[in-house]
This record gives sequence, C-alpha cells and structure tokens, in this order.
Amino acid sequence: MEIMRGAGFTAGVMLLVTLSLPAAAQNDLSVGRKMLVEDNPGELWIDQGKDLYYQKRGPKKASLEQCDFGMGPGKLEGAAARLPRYFADTDRVEDLESRLLTCMSTLQGFDKNEVAKKAISSPRSRGSDIEALALFITSKSNGMKVNVTLSHQKEYDAYKAGEYLFYRRSGQTDFSCDQCHGEANKRIRLQDLLHMTSAAGAQEVASTWPAYRGAHYVVRTMQWRLNDCVWQMRLPDLKYGTDYSIALTTFLNRRGNDAVIQVPGFKR
Amino acid sequence: MAEPMKIRATLQGDTADVRILMRHPMETGTRKTSSGVVPLHFIQSVVVQHNGKTVLDVQWSQAISRDPFLGLRVKGAKLGDKISVTWTDNKGDKRTDEVSVAAGS
Amino acid sequence: MNINKTKWMIFGVAVIVAGCATYPDQATTKLMAEKMVYDAFTFAPEHKKRLDQDRSQQICSKIGDAKLTNEEAAEVVKLARASIKYPASGNLVGNWKEGDKLAHNGAGDRIRNGKVEKRKENGALCQNCHALAPGEINVGNVGPSLTGYGKQRGNSEAIAKYTYEKIYNAWVVFPCSNMPRLGATGHLTPEQITHMVAFLIDPQSPINK
Repeated sequence: MEIMRGAGFTAGVMLLVTLSLPAAAQNDLSVGRKMLVEDNPGELWIDQGKDLYYQKRGPKKASLEQCDFGMGPGKLEGAAARLPRYFADTDRVEDLESRLLTCMSTLQGFDKNEVAKKAISSPRSRGSDIEALALFITSKSNGMKVNVTLSHQKEYDAYKAGEYLFYRRSGQTDFSCDQCHGEANKRIRLQDLLHMTSAAGAQEVASTWPAYRGAHYVVRTMQWRLNDCVWQMRLPDLKYGTDYSIALTTFLNRRGNDAVIQVPGFKR
Repeated sequence: MAEPMKIRATLQGDTADVRILMRHPMETGTRKTSSGVVPLHFIQSVVVQHNGKTVLDVQWSQAISRDPFLGLRVKGAKLGDKISVTWTDNKGDKRTDEVSVAAGS
Repeated sequence: MNINKTKWMIFGVAVIVAGCATYPDQATTKLMAEKMVYDAFTFAPEHKKRLDQDRSQQICSKIGDAKLTNEEAAEVVKLARASIKYPASGNLVGNWKEGDKLAHNGAGDRIRNGKVEKRKENGALCQNCHALAPGEINVGNVGPSLTGYGKQRGNSEAIAKYTYEKIYNAWVVFPCSNMPRLGATGHLTPEQITHMVAFLIDPQSPINK
C-alpha cells in the first residue's frame, strides 16, 4: 500500500517556485513540470466534452455526430491533428474552435454569437461547452502527430498571413509575438516562454492545447491563449474565432508538424 | 452535487496501478471573494476497495487542492478485479465509482 | 478514343487547377493580414491606434531572418531621437523609491470588455524582463540584467541623460530593440521615467547594493 500522492497543485507549484533559481535549476523545473502534466485534472473535462458531443442539444435537437472536422462527418480520430484546414461549406480556413462554432450553429441551431460569448469560461467554473468539446475532440488525436498540410489556396494564405501577424508590432508595448517568443531560454518573471520560431517551440504549441490552467482550475484553449496574449500586449479586445487567430494558429501548428499530441496539457 | 471520478487501473505484473481524479472544490474556508469568505468544503475521507476488501482508508484535510489526484498501487491484483473508490466530504456528500483492472501497456 | 481524350482533358484541367495553390507574395500577404487585424478586434475609435503601426513599427516588423538595412536603422534612430521629450522641471533624476515600485508593477492600460484598466498610474513593466536588485528570483530575462546598473556606470549627468533617453525611447540606442518605447508611446510619463532613472543610478537604490 503506497502513501498517497495527494499533494495539491497549490503545494506543488509553491514548492517549485521556492526551489527555482534562474539558470542552474532549469532541469529540476522541467522534471517537476512534466510530473504536473501527467494525470492533470483537465482529464475530468474529457467526459464532459464527450457527453456534449453525443447529446441532442439546441433548437434543432441534434448531436454533433454529423460534424465534419475535416475527415468526414463523425470521424474524430486524427481530425484535430490536421487543423486548421480549409472547409468548403464555409469557404474558410477554420481551427477546431471555429469549426465547433460552425457545427453548433448549423447542426444544432445555436446562435454563434451566444456560443462565442460563453466560449471562454470563468476561473473555477464548470468550464464552457467549447472548452470541453475542444478537449474531447483533440483527445481523439492523442498519440498522433500534428499534420497540418497546405493544399487549398486559402490554407497557403492563412499560413503566410499568420507569419506576417507573428511579427507585426503595434501598440504602446511595441510588441509582436516575436519579442517574447522569438528567442530561446527566455522567460517573463518565472514563466518560461516557448521559443516559437524554433521547431521544438512550435511543436509544443501545436500539441499541448487544450490544457488545464492550474491558476484558473479550468481547461483553456488556443483561442483563450491568444486572447490573453493580446491583453498583455495592450491591444483591444480580440473577438472569438477570427481569421487573425486562425491564421496565427495555422502558422504555428504547421511549424509544429510531427509533434505528438498529448492533451490535456498543463499550464501554470 | 457529486460528480463522477475518473479512475484508471492498469495491471503491471501482479500490481494494479490505480490513478484517480476527483471533481471537488476543496475549499479551505479561508478564501475570500467579493461576497465574503467561501465556507469550508472538502473531501474528508477516501476509501479504496479491491474486490470488496478495503485497501486504502485515508482522511484528508482542506490542504488538498481542488480537483484532487490520488494514485496508489494495489498488490495481488488480477485482470478484471474490481477497484472501487468512495469519497465523503464534510457536508456529508458522497460519491462512489468503480472500474475493472485493465491490461497494462 | 474520344472518350479517353475527354477523360485526360478533364484530368489535366483538374491537375492544373489543383496545382495552382501557392504561397501568396509579400504584398498580397500584407493586404490580407492587415485586413484580418482590423476585423479581429472590437475597439472604441480612440483605441484604434493600438492596432495602427507607426513608421518605425512598420520597419521593425521584420519577418523571420529579414535584416534591417542601414538606411532603415538610421531612419528609426532619427525618428526615435525626434520623439524624446524631457520633464518640464528639466531634472532627469527623480525618486528611486518611486522607481522601485514602478519597476515591479506590470499593470496598467490593458483592455478587457472595452474597459481600460486604470490604475493610479501605468507600471513600468521592468521586472517582467529584467533582473533588478540582487537576490530577486521572480524576474525575467528577456532583457539584460540591470543588477548593479549604477555601480557600473556611475550617476553622472551624462549617464542620467543616456538612461533617461533609453527608457523614453529604447530605439534611439538600438533600433527595433525588443524593449517597448515606454515614453514615446505614452505608456510612461516623463516624470515616471525620472524615477526609473533614479532607481537605476542612485547609489542608495537596491539595484546598486
């Protein structure tokens, strides 16, 4: 009978912070962080998403089983690994979240704006439908490699636009993504920054969302992460599911090809 | 309202590696919000049974954080054995979930 | 024979159509992306400038490994120098205790649901990127360490002026630096910057202990 490993996240994170020293302890930090990823509470949202996927909901009383995530209606295994991609029915490149918005409105009759408004949940809440659904669908690609391909013209456009946007500086901070994410081994205070212009950094972006955000006690998505970044950059409110965010995601996910997807990820 | 747990029990040799995630606010009773202090609300006891025999009986305090994880290894397990987990909190709320020991990878 | 020819023609056309997709050129990319920016955000008219790029930002938005030309660098430096405003008092060294507080303050002017976060004043954001007083652990490394800044350089008028200008507009020293042009963009006031200068060069400041 083992002693239970019941230490709470708060205790665990505090322990890591007090032990951390800028340069030398980098390895200890990453070992500890890996341990937090395994069996993180985000997994509790997978079944929540599964229920939402199969339940007949909305004005049209339909499930999401007819939703096409790129591999045909109802085919979930490996679908998230190929997103964002072009969809003929909307004539647009869509990421997982905007695809969910599309299907929830066309198949289930939900109002897109209402769903978008609730898409990012409050900390310590049960989480939003989109957060749970995005996690459930991405979990069907667990263990598979990120595989964003460019074949439709709009996919090429999204990739290049995303690259342009990654480097676009504006506002009183003069920040683009590159200022924080363009160099290796950088951190803001004690928060390590992913080096997204390297393959390894892009691969981590592409394979760890949706993720459990420890400080918020809910599952967070890529749309939320972009929203939070532009907030710190002192830009105005980012709408949900925009071409801007889809372009950036296309750029990063494609650069992150061959990463092995493992969700829910874990963020501080 | 007690939410379902997520339990995985995989066989490693003759030992079941059991991993449990529980949904619970685990309020310490000291957290303040704009509407005042959030009352104490935490899982007080967890009992794990292997084929009906208690193998773990623990008492927790409010120091355990929200949506807690519990891992343990149960010796002498076989494929298909039942692992059942029951938690009880300080408000008298209870939840029991059960899984069968599955093959390990 | 005719049916086969038609089949091959259709196949040929399909191949040509499918094979047409390519990366858009720079000009097309810029047009598409710029439109995406303004469509993506909800903003009051007075906040549109947070999305607009001034001339220096446009130059400094180099993509990938693209390099700054000498002409571009010179232009950015020139614009930076022209932007610098000094405090009305003319005194460039303020109160280091104020500067210490500001250096550890990362808040101010962020927008959520249309509302601008209004604190007593904007934080200087220094701790996010720079090491400050010796022994502080919770500091970033995006920028070089500022520990011992004044100890190394002294606190002469020349150093005070150099430091003031660098904080007011970092691009006057290093065009397209990762550092925000805190004074020039209006994030910090000239008075606040004098406190930052004091925090960096005053021998009593914790940074120089």
